[in-house]
This record gives sequence, C-alpha cells and structure tokens, in this order.
Amino acid sequence: MKDINFIPTDYAGKIAKTFIHSPLTLTLGLFILAIGYLSLEIMPREENPQMVVSGSTVIIALPGASAKEIQKIIVNPLERKLKEVKGVEHIYGRAMDNVGIVNAAFFIGEAKEGANLKIYDKIMQNADIFPSGAMKPIIKPLDIDVDIPIVSIAFYADNEKMSKTELYDSVKKIQHHINGLENVAVTELKGGSKHQFNIEVDLNKLSGYNLSMGQIKKAVASLAYNVPATKNTSKDNKIVILGVKNALDSIKDINNIIVAQYMGSVIYLSQVAKVSDSYDIQNFKKALIKVRDKNGEFSSFKEQITLSVSKLQGTNAVIIADEVKKELLMYKELLEKNGIHYVITRNDGERADEAVNELVYHLVLSIVIIAILLAFVLGWRESLIVTFTVPAILAITLFVAYLSGQTINRITLFAFLLSLGLLVDAAIIVIENIHRHYHSKESAHETPTELMIKATDEIGAPTNIATLAIILTMVPMAFVGQMMGQFMKPIPANVPVALIASLFVAYIFTPYLAVRMLKRPDHSDKGEE
Amino acid sequence: MFKKFENFIHKAIQSSSQRKLILIVTLIAFVLSILMIAPSKMVLAKMLPGKNNDTFNIYVTLATGSSISQTQEVTSCVSAILTQEKELRDLEVFLGMGSPLDFAGLIKGSQFKNSENVAELVLNLTKKHHRDEPSYLMVQRLRPIVQSQCQSLYKGTKISFVEPPAGPPTMAAIVAEIYGDNAEGIRKLSSRVSDVFHHTDGLVDIDIMQDDIFDTFKIVVNNTKIVRSGVDIEQLNNIIYLAFEGMQIAVKNSELYNDQVPIYLSLSKESKSFTRKDLNAIKVKLGALKLMNTQGIMIPLTELVSVIAEKSHPMILSKNLHMMSNVMAETDMVSQVYPLMDARETILENFSDTYKIKKIGLFNLQLTDKESGKVYKLIWDGEMEVTLDTFVELGAAFIAALVLIFLLMVVYYKSYAISGIILLGSFLSIIGVIVGHFVMDLFTVETFFLTATSLIGFIALIGISSRNSLLLIDYTKSLMINKGMDQASAIAHSAATRAKPIFLTAVAIMLASTLLAGDAVFGGLGVSLIFGTVAAVIASLLVVPVLLNIIDLEKHFDIN
Repeated sequence: MKDINFIPTDYAGKIAKTFIHSPLTLTLGLFILAIGYLSLEIMPREENPQMVVSGSTVIIALPGASAKEIQKIIVNPLERKLKEVKGVEHIYGRAMDNVGIVNAAFFIGEAKEGANLKIYDKIMQNADIFPSGAMKPIIKPLDIDVDIPIVSIAFYADNEKMSKTELYDSVKKIQHHINGLENVAVTELKGGSKHQFNIEVDLNKLSGYNLSMGQIKKAVASLAYNVPATKNTSKDNKIVILGVKNALDSIKDINNIIVAQYMGSVIYLSQVAKVSDSYDIQNFKKALIKVRDKNGEFSSFKEQITLSVSKLQGTNAVIIADEVKKELLMYKELLEKNGIHYVITRNDGERADEAVNELVYHLVLSIVIIAILLAFVLGWRESLIVTFTVPAILAITLFVAYLSGQTINRITLFAFLLSLGLLVDAAIIVIENIHRHYHSKESAHETPTELMIKATDEIGAPTNIATLAIILTMVPMAFVGQMMGQFMKPIPANVPVALIASLFVAYIFTPYLAVRMLKRPDHSDKGEE
Repeated sequence: MFKKFENFIHKAIQSSSQRKLILIVTLIAFVLSILMIAPSKMVLAKMLPGKNNDTFNIYVTLATGSSISQTQEVTSCVSAILTQEKELRDLEVFLGMGSPLDFAGLIKGSQFKNSENVAELVLNLTKKHHRDEPSYLMVQRLRPIVQSQCQSLYKGTKISFVEPPAGPPTMAAIVAEIYGDNAEGIRKLSSRVSDVFHHTDGLVDIDIMQDDIFDTFKIVVNNTKIVRSGVDIEQLNNIIYLAFEGMQIAVKNSELYNDQVPIYLSLSKESKSFTRKDLNAIKVKLGALKLMNTQGIMIPLTELVSVIAEKSHPMILSKNLHMMSNVMAETDMVSQVYPLMDARETILENFSDTYKIKKIGLFNLQLTDKESGKVYKLIWDGEMEVTLDTFVELGAAFIAALVLIFLLMVVYYKSYAISGIILLGSFLSIIGVIVGHFVMDLFTVETFFLTATSLIGFIALIGISSRNSLLLIDYTKSLMINKGMDQASAIAHSAATRAKPIFLTAVAIMLASTLLAGDAVFGGLGVSLIFGTVAAVIASLLVVPVLLNIIDLEKHFDIN
C-alpha cells in the first residue's frame, strides 16, 4: 500500500482512506450486487403491501326472537363485553330477527394472533351471559391473507345436458389437488349444486291419504341410519363380522319406504311424493358467467362454479398463481372431453408481477437518464461511477428489506423510485468535489489518492448532516397510523436504509473507482479553476 | 456562467433594495400558493385518486324481502348493457351471495351477503395497456346508463359500482353516521340526509344502510286449542318449516360422491306456493296441512292457529354501543371534501324546520328534534374521515420533521439564526408543490388532486432543500475561515460553486420523479418532487444567500 500523508478529519475521509487501496473493496462490491440480485429474485412479490388488519365477528343465533329482543339480550351485552378488550377500535352490532352479529375491529396494526385470542377468550369467559335457548357463539376472525383469494377460476359446462351436480363433482376433485399445492392456504367453491335426494310431497295426495308431514319425516329418518359392523367370534375362535346393510342405497329404496298403513293396505312414499336423485333445490344462490366465444361474441349465461385460492402470509403470489395455472393445465384435456371449460377470472400473481416488472423497468430507465445527464455535465467516466453506486445502494436496501421480512410490492418499489433521486446525491456530491479538485491547478501537486481522500473528506461533514436531515424527515412518517400509515409503511422503512447505504457506498466506492478510472487533465499550459 | 451568477448574487445580497425585492416576491408567491388551496379551490385535495384497473364489480341490492328471481331480472338488465362493451372480456354474476372477496368487498361486507335480494357482478376488462379508456372513466360513463335503465325495474333497487381502491379500502367515499336513541327517528333523519345527498352535485351510488320495511305474515297460535287437541307447539313449528322451507331430514354416506348426500323433504313446488300474497291464500294453504295428535287423529292446522299481517322488523345497527344508521355515497371523479361541505351546508339550511342544529367537532352536527326533544348526531366517516385523519397525521409528521431538522441544525451550527434560515428556506418548497399541482391540473383531463402522497413528497422535500442550504452554508463557512473572505463575497462565491452540485442533484431528483408523476397513486408525490425541487433550488440559491447576509455570520460561525 502506498503511503498516504493526508490525515482525514471526518468519517467520510477515514472510510475512503481505508478502502481506497484495499483488495477487499472489489469483492465487497461484487458481493453487494450479488445479494441484491438474489434478494430481488427470492423476495415474495405482491401487488399491495401487507396490511395488519385484525378483527373478529361473533354470531349468536336465538331462533324465534325479534330484532328488538336480540338487540337487548344478545347484542348489547356482547358489545359491552367486547368493549373490555384492549386494542378494539370500533364495535359494530347488528340485530336481526333470530340472530345477532357483533363485529370488533381492532386498531390497524394490532397483531392478528393476539387479537383473535383476546376475542375468543372474552367470549368463552362470558358464555354465561347469553340467554338460554341461544345457540353456541360462532367466532369468525378476519384474516386478510387467507380471506382474500389471489386466484379465482370459473368452471362452466358447454354441454347443456350435463347434470348440475356433475360439474360440482369434477371441480371438487380439482379443488383437492390445488389445495395440496405448496403455500396454498384456503380453496373455496362458490356456486354450483350439491347432490341431494329430494322428496317433494304433493299436498293434495297427502290430504287424500289423510297423512301428515311428520309421519313422512319419521318414516324416512328411521330408515336412513348407518350402523357400524359388529364383531363376534365363532366357537372355534374365528372372527365373524356382521354388518347391517344400509337400508337406503338408491332412489328405489327411498321410493319404497312405507309411510303408513291405511285401511289394511300400505302406502309407499312414491304414492304421495316425487323422489329424485338431484341437486339442492332449496339453495337460492347461483353463479353465472358469460365469456366471449371464438368470434368474439358473448355466449348466453352459463352456470359456473368459481374456485378461489388464497395463499399463506408472506409467500410469493406470483409463484403460487403459476403453480395453480400449471396444475389446471394437467386437467384441461380431461375436463374438455367432458365439456367443461374454465377461465381464470382473477390472477393477482400476474398483476403483482406486472406491477413489479413495470416499476423495475422504470427504475432502470431513471438510472439511465441520470447517467446520460451526468455524462454531459461531468464526463462519462464520472457518470459511470455514479451509475454503479445506484445498483449497489439498491442492492443493500433490498437485502435489508428481505431480512426484515418485507415483500416486493408497489409501495416498496415506489419507495425506491422516491429514494433514487435522493440516493445519487451523496455520490454526485463526492464525485463533483473530486472532479473540481482534480481539475484545479491548486491541487496539482497532490497524488491522486491523497486528493481523492481530501475531496471526500471535505464534503463529508455537510453530506452526513444533510443525509441525516433527510432521514429525520422520514422518521415521523413511520408513526402515521390508520390504514394509510400501514399502506405507506415501506416508504419510511426503506428510504432511510437507502440513504444510509448511499453514504457508505459514496465514501467507499466513489474514491475507489475514481482513482482508477478518472484521467487527470494536464495543467502545465492551461486550466480552469 | 457561474462567474456571472456569483457577481449577480454578490450585488443582490448587498443592495438593500434588491434584497427587499427578492424577499417580498418570495412572500407574495408563498401567500398566493397558500390561497390556491384554501379559499379558491384551485387545487383540490383528496386522499388518493382513481386507479386504472382491469376489473371492477357492480353490487346490486334490491329492497329487503325481494326474491331471487326479481334480483336475477335486474342483473340481466345490467348485463345486457354491459355486454355491448367492447373491452369486456368476461362477466360473472353471483346471485344471492358476494363475489370472491377482494379488498373493497372486505370493508363493504361482501363476505356476509347471504340473501335473495343481493347480487354481485364481476367484470374483467382487457389489459389496461391495450385499452384506451381507463376503468374509472368507463365506470363514470356506464353508471348513469345502468342506473337509469335498471334501477327502475323494482322500487328500492340500488346499483353501485365498486372499483378496486388505489390505496387502503374504505366503506364509501362519504359516510354520514346518524346516531340516536330511537330507531324511528334515525330512519326519518337518514332518509332526509340521503335526499340531501341525492341533490348534491358529484355524489352517486347513494345508499342507506338499513333494511326496508315490507309486509310479512305471522301465525298466531291459539294456546287453548293446542292443549285441548293434544299436539305440541314444537310439532306445529316443525310442520310449517318442513312444508314450506323444507329440511334435510337425514343424510346418506356415499362412496360415489364427495360429500354426504342429504335427504331433503319438502312440499312440492306446485303444492307449496300460495296463489296470491294475501291473508286468505295463506289460510287456504294452511288448512290443507294436517297434524297428527297423540290419539292419532288428524287436525287441520287452521283449527289451531290464526294468521295476521305484520310489518317486518328491520335490522338494528349499532356502532360503539350506540344505535345508528349509515347514509353512504360515492363520489363521481371528484374530491369528497367539497360535496361533503355542500351537503353539510344544505343540512344546516334546510333541517332547521324540525331540528335545532348545533355544530360539534370539526364538521359534525348535533340535531335536536324540536317536537320530541330527542337528540341525534350526524358524524362523518368513510374515506373523508380517513383522509382527514391521514392529512392531520401527515401534517403532524411534517411538523415533527421540521422540529427534528431544526434541532439537528442547532446541534451542528450552534446558532438559532442559521438553523432558522435553513428551515425557512426548506419551507418555501411548498410554493413549488402547490403551483405544480395547479399546473398539472391545467394539463390533465381529469382533476389532478393534492393527495396524501403529495404530502409525503413535501415532507421529503424539506430534507432535500435543507441539504442544499447546508452545503451552501458549510462552504461559506470554510471560505470565511480558511481563506479569510469577507461575508458577502464568501456567500456569493459559495453559491456559485455549490450551484453545480445543487443543480445536478436537483435534476437527478426531477428525472427520477418524472416516472412517478405518471402513476395514479404516486402522481402527487412525483409532481411534488419535481416542482418542489425547482422551488427548493431557487430558494437555496437566492433566498437563503439574501437571508444569510442579513445576519452577522462571523458571530454565528464563531470566527476569532
């Protein structure tokens, strides 16, 4: 190492002095770029930042009570109890005929696990305050990650003749496979009709035979019973299994149920009712879809079943969406043979990927524009040096973000775009000062190394303080509460990191690169000051 | 060029008339820009602007008590209009339930939808890069057509357009919470408030969160007859439920199917439907139903009960233990602040006939019924409240940032005067922020709002412009100490020397922000940074030197 006579007064100069001839600097630079790239690749991608929103809904049914009664004996006491829970911001009560619903919303940012536990505890401790006849309380915690699906797929049948339950059965099979994919939390079906044996009684025939509905109910229920097989041993110690065959196996069995004996003759169920192996006719919910056919015209409405998939918290939406798509392709052929088609109606993974890629492109574009600008003003070598510092700073920031469990989303990338303008500052100021000293006559006698360190050291103190000032402006933003505060959190979390990184990178790499790349002008005949 | 600038500064800061001129011009610019926001409404404030999406939802809600087929009729009407849209890729209808949950639905209670009078439509559009019309303009165009054609099919039908929010979701743009002690009074007041909303410009999708009251019938059991006839009430209840609603009376396990197969018992559709919706039809039908008593004798239901007509019991809502109702409205591409103010004005003017009105808090009202003396409260909530809270909190963050910077400067320079100058200089960037928004508003088709992200940009700007001032002052100091320059020439020389890096960093920030400026959500941030930086550069190269020369730097730098 060469002898360096200049004694720096500021950290900036000290850092520059340590690294300017160290062989480790290059390795460090490459290492930083590598971890940055790795972080960009492995960090989970999402469209919107994760928000911590906690809350629980408590549902208590009391059949036969009117809305006003429910309000007095269920909703009001429940509201009072939930108000005792710390961290609850708002309590919403809804009293309807037969049922009371109370929703406790926690302050934004209150951790989900603790919040759910507190509500559950409170309800269980006070199970005695609910009126007799009330059903067991149902507690449904809110879980944004699990509740909001990232992918939804609509399945529909082309074949008009296909029975309503066949579609449901096919989709149900696929649901099971998709649920088995890694990091998939919940899959849910909307729409579709389930299997059901329907007994539709004709009221006229019922009164004709002088029967009541109660008799029919009793007759069917007494036969629809499954019993486990009994086990016994024979005298020579062999096991004998004795099973009772289910009385009702098919429609025929149900049709032949004897509901009553009237004037000596038996009355079968088929005589008073229509029995069918069909779908749940009492379900009023229905999901429909219209898609464009090959000619771009809309088809008529078709019944559909939507399969929605949600992911575990902190996992990569992009990867899961792709996995789901791949899994679906495996079944595509089989489904189409049966006349079932599907269309992906929501793909947040794709949306997230698009948003992230677009912003990365913007980021690169900005860096190029700034590089061109600097090349004109300071020269291409100086410009190249500053341009190198940007990916290095972003790499460090990304890595820190990855370590702190953040995801790449729209807001994180905007935080980067915002800091981009700020984080080239330190490097620009250092390189500009080096440039100025390099080109000035007064410092012509100094060695390049010394000059670099001196130039870096000179602007060290104000740059440190100025960067600290910008970091300080960002700190209060971290304390903004509400949804908006949560939403914007990546800005106060990442910009300060980027700024601190920008200081170190500017002090370490700018002089290191400058001493190797910059050409010193010849001051022997002329020179500007 | 920098030499010229040095001379100009040198002259300017020494001549008292030019000094005054610079300061007065700055002051006028500052006051004018503040005026642009507050009274003149030239720059409008909103939390977050609309965002161009590839999808949006339409919520259809009929009057409570409507049937699923009526709901389907309305959705068919809506989809007939929608399918004429070229940019529509596919259209889903979810009848009687909510669509797969999204951010907006989570807050609007889409996951709890489970009745025959509701439906949700999901529209998937072509990718936004290949589409000329942004989704928010499409919504604005379709809304009046769909609502005028389909809302009139059944009275009380509400069709609302729900777009994925650009930021955090809220219940609605404007929510008026009406609190009170009696349900009747709340109902009356809510409908009056909703009337006001209907007549306020810029408000759409107005809805009251309450059940409609509709006709129902009630079976009244004759106790004496029940006891005498030897049947019990449970039996009676079961029979009525079984006959009309139907019940899954048993299940069958099956290896063929994925679920247990229920056995469902009910009257057939033809025999259970009433001929008309009136008392007599119901009585006739009930007469055909029979119960078997303990002796095995069949007794017609009508022997035991009578039927009366009744009004339904609407749902009772409460928030934080107070009975209430919500009147909600969305804004049609305008900021929610101004329609809210208009609506509040109208309420203040028109409601004084029946209510005594008192203002509470910032915008909230307390209304006392003149006749009954009952007290109601009107509290604003929704996006408005969130906006207000966010702006207040960001404002607090801004002040905290100013204080922190001031303290930092005092620690560094050990001088209140210099720290004050730096702070003043950085505060001036607000001129750029506001003028920038005004200019952008002139050049864009839609209103360009001052948003929460604009404020974030402004906060970042204080840091940036104090950095400029800092570099300037620091160099001046070193010139005065090391080279023994006099105050005025040191300031001028420093301004000229530092102009280059200040310009460079400013241009870097502006270039990096141009890409932000195009985004819906972060446009405000971008515009703030671009125009604010311009103001900051002018402030630190012109105003700060002038201010610096007013004070005695030698004393403040502690030279000697």
